[in-house]
Amino acid sequence: MSSSVKIRGSKHGISVKLDAKATYDDIKKDMASEFRGAGKFLGDEKLAVSFEGYFLTEEQQDELVNIIHQNCDIHIVCIVDSNPEQDKKFQKSVQETMMEFDASTGQFYKGHLRSGQVLEFEHSVIVIGDVNPGASIISKGNIVILGSLRGTAFAGASGKKNCFIVAMDMQPIQLRIADVFARASDNSKGISEPRIAFVNDENIYIEPLTKSVLNDITL
Amino acid sequence: MGEVIVVTSGKGGVGKTTTTANVGTGLAKLGMKVVLIDTDIGLRNLDVVMGLENRIVYNLVDVIEGNCKINQAFIKVKGYENFYLLPSAQTRDKTSVTPEQMKELTDRLKESFDYVLIDCPAGIEQGFKNAIAGATRALVVTTPEVSAVRDADRIIGLLEANEITKTELVVNRLRIDMVKRGDMLSCEDVLEILSIDLIGVVPDDENIIVSTNNGVPLVGDSSMAGKAYMNICHRILGEEVPYLDLNKKGGFLSKLFKK
Repeated sequence: MSSSVKIRGSKHGISVKLDAKATYDDIKKDMASEFRGAGKFLGDEKLAVSFEGYFLTEEQQDELVNIIHQNCDIHIVCIVDSNPEQDKKFQKSVQETMMEFDASTGQFYKGHLRSGQVLEFEHSVIVIGDVNPGASIISKGNIVILGSLRGTAFAGASGKKNCFIVAMDMQPIQLRIADVFARASDNSKGISEPRIAFVNDENIYIEPLTKSVLNDITL
Repeated sequence: MGEVIVVTSGKGGVGKTTTTANVGTGLAKLGMKVVLIDTDIGLRNLDVVMGLENRIVYNLVDVIEGNCKINQAFIKVKGYENFYLLPSAQTRDKTSVTPEQMKELTDRLKESFDYVLIDCPAGIEQGFKNAIAGATRALVVTTPEVSAVRDADRIIGLLEANEITKTELVVNRLRIDMVKRGDMLSCEDVLEILSIDLIGVVPDDENIIVSTNNGVPLVGDSSMAGKAYMNICHRILGEEVPYLDLNKKGGFLSKLFKK
């Protein structure tokens, strides 16, 4: 009996042809065996996938993606509806999904940001130096400042609310994470010890860098 | 080959011109060949502080435009072998000079002088760009006030962007009694924000006002400010000089503190 699942790979994704007449259970079984075999060729690429020829609910699609992950090393980063310009779509989807991973990649910046200077980063950033009053640092991901933060910091600039800002000396004029703002209170002197700022319930909280806070961080 | 030092601050009124006059005079007292250039075109002051106002015939703009020889515009300061002032023009504005022309001028002057000191106007516009064009070293003057420190920070950033990395800080008009009461930023507070090398602390001293009005810089005399400025001159020459004890008895500040 021929398999109810046929895999066709391209540069940025794989399309999986499913036999419309097969039962869902058969498809699951055949998916596992096909991907166990094909996994060797596909390596551990990050790919998009499309399922064709069979009507699948969202839960079923997720289940099939899980089967793929269990049986080979490839990472399915997104599921694409099948259509003629598939490869282009695959490519775009993979790139867009990868963009969202920015918070977990980052770069170092050495130097002081002085009044009037603005630095923008596509990724997370670690500043070795101070951010002075009148200076701004903007990142689509997280911001870690191994010095004093006395200016403005804006993390999650593309809208990610789970981004955070860490400073060894937290005395910002203003903080912004995604679309949530916070400003220094008018009479407090700021806190000269390591702190982390994060968003919870549409509010920015500034807390000491304790183990339990660090455990709650998601990238 | 001499050094071109720009004295700058961003904010006005913190003591750029006073510092230029005193540091320049101090370096001349130490036997250096010094020329002061006032680049505050339209708002010239340095000649007044130096007591040379009545001797101005030609000025910086005349030199740049070729109306006179550079030696004709130089005003020799009384009592020194090699100490000159190149005054600024009062009837023109900052756009009369370009940064390229200033660089050409200072490059020429540093061949025959040990120190070319440039008094920079307040602000970060054309006048500032002219003043820093030929400089290789900068003295950033600030007072212990949040606004002055903020502007100094901006200036330091701009100096870095223009590749002037030898930047040193003068904290001017410090009042130790106010610092002790917690009413004024301390020198350490200022340094923590600006994170550059300190080259001198000048206490707030009413003798400065007297000396400015008389047109005789007080550098090197027995007043606190005079000593502080002399120490800055020594440090510019690369000598290690301990910082003044601003609490010393008998000084103007401690009298004030006793009240």
